[in-house]
Amino acid sequence: MMCCWEPGAPVGRERIEGPDMRRVAIVGAGQSKYGEFPEKGIKELFFEAYKDMASSVDKNFDPKQIESAYVGNLGSGGFQLGNMSALVAEYVGLPYIHTVRVENACASGGYALVAAVMDVMSGAHKMVLAGGVEKMTDVSGIKQKYWLGVSGDTEYERLAGTTFAGLYALIAHRHMHEFGTKREHLSMVAVKNHKNGAQNPKAQFQREIQMEQAMKAPIVAYPLNLFDCCSTTDGASSLLVCDAEIAKQFTDTPIYVTGFGTSSDYLAIHDRISTVTLEGTKRASQHAYKMAGLTAKDIQLAEVHDCFTIAELLAYEDLGFCEKGKAGQFIEEGHTKIDGDKPVNASGGLKSKGHPIGSTGTGQAYEMFNQLRGTVQKPTRQVKGIEKGLVHNVGGSGGTVSVSIMER
Amino acid sequence: MATGISGYSSYIPRLRIKKEDYAKAWGSFQAAGVSEKSVMGFDEDILTAASKVSRRALESVPLAPAKVTRFALASTTAPYLEKLLSGTVLVNVGMPSSTFASDHTTSTRAGTEAFVSGIEHVKASPGGVAVVATADAPRASMWDPIEHPMGAGAAAFVLSSDNLIAEVEGYASFAMEHFGERFKPAGDETLHDLNVKKFFASSFTTCTTMACASLLKKLGTKPEDYAHVVIQQPDAKTPGSVAGKLMFNDAQMASGLVSVNLGDLGAASTTVGLVAALDAAKVGDRIIVISYGSGAGSDAISLKVVSDRKPVPSFKTQLEKKEYIDYIQYVKLKGALK
Amino acid sequence: MAHVSVPMYWRTIPQRYKMVGQKCKKCGAVNFPPKGVCKYCNASSEFDELQLSGKGKVHTFVLIGAGGAPPEFAEQMKAGGSYPVAIVELAEGPKVIGQMTDVNPKDVKMGMPVKAELKKIYTEEGVIRYGFKFAPDQEGK
Repeated sequence: MMCCWEPGAPVGRERIEGPDMRRVAIVGAGQSKYGEFPEKGIKELFFEAYKDMASSVDKNFDPKQIESAYVGNLGSGGFQLGNMSALVAEYVGLPYIHTVRVENACASGGYALVAAVMDVMSGAHKMVLAGGVEKMTDVSGIKQKYWLGVSGDTEYERLAGTTFAGLYALIAHRHMHEFGTKREHLSMVAVKNHKNGAQNPKAQFQREIQMEQAMKAPIVAYPLNLFDCCSTTDGASSLLVCDAEIAKQFTDTPIYVTGFGTSSDYLAIHDRISTVTLEGTKRASQHAYKMAGLTAKDIQLAEVHDCFTIAELLAYEDLGFCEKGKAGQFIEEGHTKIDGDKPVNASGGLKSKGHPIGSTGTGQAYEMFNQLRGTVQKPTRQVKGIEKGLVHNVGGSGGTVSVSIMER
Repeated sequence: MATGISGYSSYIPRLRIKKEDYAKAWGSFQAAGVSEKSVMGFDEDILTAASKVSRRALESVPLAPAKVTRFALASTTAPYLEKLLSGTVLVNVGMPSSTFASDHTTSTRAGTEAFVSGIEHVKASPGGVAVVATADAPRASMWDPIEHPMGAGAAAFVLSSDNLIAEVEGYASFAMEHFGERFKPAGDETLHDLNVKKFFASSFTTCTTMACASLLKKLGTKPEDYAHVVIQQPDAKTPGSVAGKLMFNDAQMASGLVSVNLGDLGAASTTVGLVAALDAAKVGDRIIVISYGSGAGSDAISLKVVSDRKPVPSFKTQLEKKEYIDYIQYVKLKGALK
Repeated sequence: MAHVSVPMYWRTIPQRYKMVGQKCKKCGAVNFPPKGVCKYCNASSEFDELQLSGKGKVHTFVLIGAGGAPPEFAEQMKAGGSYPVAIVELAEGPKVIGQMTDVNPKDVKMGMPVKAELKKIYTEEGVIRYGFKFAPDQEGK
């Protein structure tokens, strides 16, 4: 029978574009350190990122101009499930604005950025905050596992005895079975990202690791081991998004969001057409490329969602950087190193930088903002002379995906 | 109209522990005649086992679950002390909600209690079909020697008046007051056994001999008429001690002496033994089953094999499908079940 | 704990205990677990109930280690060590995730034929939640 998503079937909806749609720019970006901070809660972390963002605005920053705030957040241990966006906004001196908590699991930040972009694009507001925050290390081990396990399909996937490590391991194992992807390829992702993260002063883990270590780490969910999995992290990030027409008031080098795309997918992996493709990534990136008038080939740097090493390999394929099944070869050939022709995760990725769930998406945009402007904190990590970047944020095992294209 | 067994099945958990591994932990293995025994896995219990054997017993006829009119479930180690246990099995197997389902739980005689209930139903209801499921995984404190022989297993039978493998010729019972041998007071997690050996032996002997004698008299049969004798097996030697008094010999008991490899199967002891005997029997063979439950009582059931149809998988196949665990693993599994 | 309420779990008994699936009246494809709208043709919410056989093949599997188990499976992990979880391609078409059972983890293979068995999944609020797990389907069982 013909599935609506078989090859050749039209991809989703056409994006609406027209003279009334505004162009959107990012004129400031900030991020807190990512790590474990017993002395900081979500308010303090959000403020740290906010202040960092404010200091990155070259001139004329005026908080009174901010009209909305979209805050990515999964739930921070559940203590303030309701109304947390209002809480963090007033804490940083932004009472009485349009605030929304955006939740799409680990893609919350990416979707917060998209919400902010759509807000400005529609003309409803001119200056908007897109941010994210997560506090993951306050809760006990058991509670933490609860929170980590609520973004896959709870009824069937969780009750089969899996957390995300298990789900991504199911994908990795099938990928290895179908395409011959090797254990080494997974570890190459970990080694590359740790090498980059060692140059990132805000990363949770700032040390390189060796292939041998990465290959032989204890098994968490075969075939994935400890070094294939990102950590739990506290952190926040903050972006100042505005109408392109006023951007030059704040900086001579605004970064434009020229395209974005989002897609959901069947939540449970077993309900998807393919176990080895994130349909969400494919469609979200296709929408984004179309809107920006670009193709995968044009992207000069990508910050992708490597919650597990296999996720980065899938991203190479589903974002169109290489053919399906060839991701192992792609990384083996060195394309995605910082000095390669398709650098990926110059920040260190989620693996080395950390993964404070609500903040990850906007944190990726923070890195891209600096990379495109040449203002990365440590020059060894700076990818030189790039103008077109892509950020890719995945919720859970791919139930939601957001892709944005940022250009200088 | 003849009534009896038209289908049957057994289930033996694949995990086993050898007496040597037990002896390593405790210095000795106090389960007379038992050389190894079966152990329930972490994610099984008597309800999952009962579901499995009920389903397979129906498939062995074959008979659709929708045709069942009576269901009886027996175990001494059900996961709930109060909750209709049969409901879980009824729904899983697909037997009608209108089935009269009964739970039998408070002694190791429960298996034959359920069996007799099933036969009574079939005799009284034309076209009636009963499924009898017995599943047990007896347990006691790890410190108590009575724990040593305790194993795990299940057996189920489809009882009807059609397509018989073995006819039930008759049954007799004996019940009396005899407290204080093996018992578990309400609210107590631990099985008690006051270990007054002679006291237990006298009860075991009295109940089994009274039930058996009554049955043989009713039917006009003699001990030597029975090719297969299945007696309750708290270990592999106790049945032998009674057999002499009942005038049965070791050869007659051989086919049904499942405790040698499986240990004490509680309410499923005589029913799993019956399955083993049915697998070994020839057309024309008679089988006698004599159960015992402390507190105390016995049922004696006489059967005659009328067909050489043997359900698969056989008892032997399952016996041979095994994986050994050591004592530490055993404690983790059984300790987890408390 | 997983926070799956008793009524919520109870509502899934037709799937958990019996593997009842839905055959789309429009395109004929079998949906399991159930959907509001057929996920194959995305065009119909009318189904016929279909009793699935419980048989299938292992499409992919994982061996869950100590760090990969949700809290409600922690005791199982401690008692029995690593357990396998598979996505099984059922004979009737749909794929479903399920824990494997009655098997040594090292014996699980891609493509292995399996059959659903009723097992204990976990206990929450003192209530045992039973459901299907997949055991190797050997001839003569």
